[in-house]
Amino acid sequence: MNDALFSGLTLAADGPEFPTVDDFLLPQIIFPGTPFAMDRIIMVRIIATAIMLVVLGVSAARAKLIPGRWQGAVEWVIEFVRDQIVYQVMGKERGRRYLPMITTMFFTILVFNLCGIIPGFNIAATATITMPLVFAGWCFVQYWVAGAREKGLGHFLKEELFPRGVPAPIYILLTPIQLLELLVIRPVSLTLRLFANMVAGHITVAVCLAATQWFLIEIPNKLWSILGIGTFAAGLVMTLFEILVAALQAFIFAMLTTAYINMSYPETE
Amino acid sequence: MTFAEQDGINLFIPKVYDIVWSLIILLVIAVFFYKFFMPKFQAVFDERTAKIEGGIAKAEQAQKDAAEAKAKYEAQLSTARVEAAKIRDDARAEASHIVADARARAEADAAQITANAQRSLKSQQQQAMVSLKGEVGALATALAGKILGAKLEDSAVQSSMIDSMLDDLDAKK
Repeated sequence: MNDALFSGLTLAADGPEFPTVDDFLLPQIIFPGTPFAMDRIIMVRIIATAIMLVVLGVSAARAKLIPGRWQGAVEWVIEFVRDQIVYQVMGKERGRRYLPMITTMFFTILVFNLCGIIPGFNIAATATITMPLVFAGWCFVQYWVAGAREKGLGHFLKEELFPRGVPAPIYILLTPIQLLELLVIRPVSLTLRLFANMVAGHITVAVCLAATQWFLIEIPNKLWSILGIGTFAAGLVMTLFEILVAALQAFIFAMLTTAYINMSYPETE
Repeated sequence: MTFAEQDGINLFIPKVYDIVWSLIILLVIAVFFYKFFMPKFQAVFDERTAKIEGGIAKAEQAQKDAAEAKAKYEAQLSTARVEAAKIRDDARAEASHIVADARARAEADAAQITANAQRSLKSQQQQAMVSLKGEVGALATALAGKILGAKLEDSAVQSSMIDSMLDDLDAKK
């Protein structure tokens, strides 16, 4: 780590510069050692946020009754989140309260995920455990609050931990699992699913491109260059695949968050 | 790449500064979405819905107005038609009445004229008869006087002579 420049050179001499976990464990560039230290991923995150706020802010400020193409596209995403995720899971009555939250989540995760394939960023802003964890934490707070508000905390816990219609002895097994589900499994699964997807996506694309670089340019024996075409094609395909994954993970995160919150509500209708 | 195995676990350990920045950024984004982005688009959506619903309502109102106007017009048309028929009937009745009147008056006039004519004819005939009687008498007297040449100046003889002559005339007739 102390002489990354050197190691890169030496590595380049005897093989492709494949990605490592160091791509995600970066040196602190600004304010090192303080709670406000920044590494490369955090800077990507801040820049992506700024761009997103400016673009969406201008779109919203200029929003007209008769939408243009761009406004139509933005509205399509908003309506997709509203109709296909929130209203689909919760229905209109309940869902209205959570529209801003789920929309925030979807837009932010989508933009942050897409940073992974934007040249110059080349890493998803969600590619540290923390960002997905913060989103999962928000979801966690919301479904606990919803449960406590709609049923009362005691009643909510009773319904979750001791589901009706189960023979009493089963509770010995079931209750700890349910408690674990409520406290750990839901937020951690949300976090890991998103984080691991972003890490894996970055590594997949980076491996393809590093191999391309090696085979096409750096390899001593030029006979192998033919392989570079294949790895380049793979890199292209994986990049497109990452766009799909970025959107898919944003959708899944928003969908599961909505579903978890909805589970805290009493089952009526 | 041996260090990678050691560092791998670090991927899953959140760093303090990362948590700080994630929270700050999420807070900023959430405030933006809650306070500006969503209300703004919601307003646009609501306005659009209102416009569309208003347009539909307006169209419905216009259609209703048109239907009302049409019904009113048709009602007016039918009363007008009835009125026209009534006026026509009245006119026809009056016309026949007038014709009948005129005819009756003309007939009466004609009868009167005929009667007058007959009356005047009769009186003229009588007058003619009277004057004829006088003249014939005078003529006959003159004639007889000339013939007899004498004493027929006496009026009694004269009148009896005329009467006898007239009687003769009547008898001859």
